Amino acid sequence: MAHSHKHDTPVETGPSSKLISLVAQFDDPHSLVAACDRAREAGYKKMDAYSPFPVHGIDDAIGIRRTRLPFFVLAVGLGACAFALLLQYYVNATDESPIFPGYKFFISGKPLFSLPANIPVTFEIIVLSSAFATFFGMWYLNGLPRFANPLHRLPMFRRVTNDKFFLVLEAEDEKFSESRSRQQLEEWGAKAIEECHEDLTDQKIPNGFRLAGIVFLFALLLPPALIYRVSGMTYRQPRLHVVPDMDWQDRYNTQTRGPNIGTPESPRYLFADGRAMQRPVSGTIARGDLTESDEYFRGYKTGTLPVSEGAGPSAQDQDGQDQDGMATGTTPEPEWVDGFPEEVVVNTDFLKRGKQRFEIYCVACHGYDGNGEGLVNQRAVALAAAGEAAWTAAKSLHDPAVKAQPIGRIFDTISNGRATMGPYKDQIPVKDRWAITAYVRALQATGIRTPQELAEANSATPEAGQ
Amino acid sequence: MAATVDFSLDNTHEDPSRRADLVLGGMTYGDITDNVAEIWEAGRPPKIWYVVFGTAVVLLSILGVCLLHLFFMGVGVWGNNNPVYWGFPIVNFVFWVGIGHAGTLISAILFLFRQNWRTSINRAAEAMTIFAVVCAGLFPGVHIGRLWVFYWLFPVPTEHLAMWPNFRSPLLWDVFAVGTYATVSLLFWYMGMVPDIATFRDRSKTKIQKFIYGLLSLGWTGSARNWHRYEMAYTILAALATPLVLSVHTIVSFDFAVSQLPGWHTTIFPPYFVAGAIFSGFAMVVTLLVPCRSLFKLERLITIRHLENMNKIIMATGLMVGTAYGIEFFIAWYGGVEYEKFAFINRAFGNYGISYWIMVTCNVFIPQLFWIRWFRTNLLAMVVISIFVNIGMWFERFVILMSLTRDFLPSSWGNFYPSLVDILMLIGSFGLFFTLFCLFCRYLPIIAISEVKNVSPQTLHHHGHDEHEHHVEHGTAH
Ligand code: HEC
Repeated sequence: MAHSHKHDTPVETGPSSKLISLVAQFDDPHSLVAACDRAREAGYKKMDAYSPFPVHGIDDAIGIRRTRLPFFVLAVGLGACAFALLLQYYVNATDESPIFPGYKFFISGKPLFSLPANIPVTFEIIVLSSAFATFFGMWYLNGLPRFANPLHRLPMFRRVTNDKFFLVLEAEDEKFSESRSRQQLEEWGAKAIEECHEDLTDQKIPNGFRLAGIVFLFALLLPPALIYRVSGMTYRQPRLHVVPDMDWQDRYNTQTRGPNIGTPESPRYLFADGRAMQRPVSGTIARGDLTESDEYFRGYKTGTLPVSEGAGPSAQDQDGQDQDGMATGTTPEPEWVDGFPEEVVVNTDFLKRGKQRFEIYCVACHGYDGNGEGLVNQRAVALAAAGEAAWTAAKSLHDPAVKAQPIGRIFDTISNGRATMGPYKDQIPVKDRWAITAYVRALQATGIRTPQELAEANSATPEAGQ
Repeated sequence: MAATVDFSLDNTHEDPSRRADLVLGGMTYGDITDNVAEIWEAGRPPKIWYVVFGTAVVLLSILGVCLLHLFFMGVGVWGNNNPVYWGFPIVNFVFWVGIGHAGTLISAILFLFRQNWRTSINRAAEAMTIFAVVCAGLFPGVHIGRLWVFYWLFPVPTEHLAMWPNFRSPLLWDVFAVGTYATVSLLFWYMGMVPDIATFRDRSKTKIQKFIYGLLSLGWTGSARNWHRYEMAYTILAALATPLVLSVHTIVSFDFAVSQLPGWHTTIFPPYFVAGAIFSGFAMVVTLLVPCRSLFKLERLITIRHLENMNKIIMATGLMVGTAYGIEFFIAWYGGVEYEKFAFINRAFGNYGISYWIMVTCNVFIPQLFWIRWFRTNLLAMVVISIFVNIGMWFERFVILMSLTRDFLPSSWGNFYPSLVDILMLIGSFGLFFTLFCLFCRYLPIIAISEVKNVSPQTLHHHGHDEHEHHVEHGTAH
């Protein structure tokens, strides 16, 4: 059916406006294809057909080559696949990066990165990116959006989206000549032919737009200008916190008063003792504080700790602190273990660890070889000699008295200290203390002699000392 | 078939010797354009449009009030509580997402299978899809509690917390699946509509119309080169959307299947959810299109044959869903896990047994009426059945969710009671859906004009002097 519009007066086509194409109208797809074939045979290259729906056979008729769009989409899809996998790996399986680090999520014992669990998101990202590539790629290749097209000025052309078919021969084509092309189009069955002129009105931007554009451009300058202004400035106010994350929370800190549920004048606190944080129920043991095995944690055979009068149960408390050990050497001692408890396995790695810890904790006094050459000891001894300090020289670890000690006793010396040597139980974890013990034993086994022994040997046979 | 049948007026008869016409009454290209554009060109839409639109807007405002209430009070206004932490919000989410499957199925899968009858219904179905996904996204969207940090759903680097989503969680897969689905459906819908918006542009009378439709049509001219890339892009999008549409409900089903709850932890969930989604989606398309077709006089474009085809799909997917219900029971017995057995017996005869039987009646028994031709071709009958299907599908999700009330430990059993806000929000979501759909009917081309022209008898049965042999192969072409 015919649909007629009351359109605006035809565009003025003054002598200045150039003819850019001839537009021929056809009534059905088949005559359009036929005309396209004829035009191609006649040698036209710059032409296009327009129709309300894709007409089959038209691609061959006007010689359209297959679009590269699929390859573009494939490339984007593959890129998206790699991106998605990397993203998930980075975010959930690493946390080393100094900036925007990932976070190693340990969840339900699942591996940090396993393909099956990461497939769904990878798939969705591939589809999403490829769809965007298809959509925007298609419009880009088609040269759209294009809002100013002289063809839209032709009243006849409005029916291209309704029921008419058009063949457009462009004036730029080598074969184009206005009169002959028109004649040819008529020959090929065109129902109507119109000229399409260059549309000079298109070039003019409406005033409002120009103003808005200028304002917009200036507005674009604002953010960088502001950033430039504030960079390197000092502030008294705390900085603007756009994303609060979880930085401020309504809560009570430890060691503070709990909520007041009474009035300000006569306060009543939520808990009887007024504390915000309650102490654990008596008998509660914190994680890792359960130290049952005497052999492992305290270095003596279970049940052999002598109960000294007055010391009471405190001598047997959880820490295994032998309270009297430091006071005098006369206190009866428990039966020390003379071997390593079953919790530790002594091997090269263990000894290496022991050496390393020994060099951190013990060398300062006892020296690398255990003979007391440590800098702290040397200085203290010198000060003591000058009468400026009181110091008992660190005992040589090769002293026969020390060598004769059972393993558990050395462990106890490290844990609780001995005489003037301080305890290391709070600095060094149990296992490391056993490692140091093992290393001390290894040192003793080397046959290094104490300074006295050396001096005696030297005085007995002077030449042996050289 | 009887020789008296006029194929150009009735296309419901099967005649193997000829392909049934998809456009009836000998409509020309111009007639097709006029028929569709009339809805938009008419000075006023039909009275019923105002009634439906008005009601929908009222419901939409109820939804808005509920949402405000929710934002200010927190998610406690819902009935969600131990042991059902996911109540109506997820039931409604799965329900709407399911409905949102028909559109892309029709436009992508039926396109790849060269089912030409899709052309008359795909536009409205795609629109319906998008509106349904909007309704679906609403529920989990507002369920997150602290709305102002919604962006934590996405892998956005935070200022100073190394805080990222957990990519091994099905709930996160959901974010990506539903987000991708909504976006791709929107692109597909809009791209398909551009040539038809150009039709509207060329028929615009007022300045505002010219401006808006001119902008939206992107300067489309219908050039053969443009059509060539456009068709290629359409095919690629269809090929992308096909696995996508299957993945979405699969992933939604993982929300349940990946957890360890008896009645949820099953491998049948993905296919069964997808079949259910198509089932409910097609039912919604029938519910919407039958009234639209009469109201906007589209009988010659959306023919009885189109509707009958959809009813056949409803019946087929209904059977799949029914089979899945049966298999679930079989496996519960055959698997020999007592918790699983209990879960299913409880489903049918336990605390929410009534909803189970509503579900079975609506989803399994009632669609069987479509075996009878009269029900498949009678407008009122098919609308009633399709509404039953949608009720049934809502209850299906409800039944699945209520497995939460009876898990392993009897000491943690409990019941779920929806709050008033729950119920109002469900009703309100229909307001949102119908508001959008009414606006779509009024202001956008509800039928893919250019695609229908392409499969109309005028294009397909061209009795001309064929000097071009490529005309012959039109029969199966898109
Ligand atoms: C601050 C210096 C200092 C450090 C560090 C130090 N000790 Fe001692 N250590 C001493 C002194 C002093 C003595 C002598 C105590 C006494 O006889 O009054 C001693 C004595 C000993 C003894 C002999 C105890 C006994 O039975 O007479 C052993 C064994 C020992 N230390 C091992 C270690 C080990 C192992 C470490 C490393 C964990 C260590 N020491 C760290 C100062 C130190």
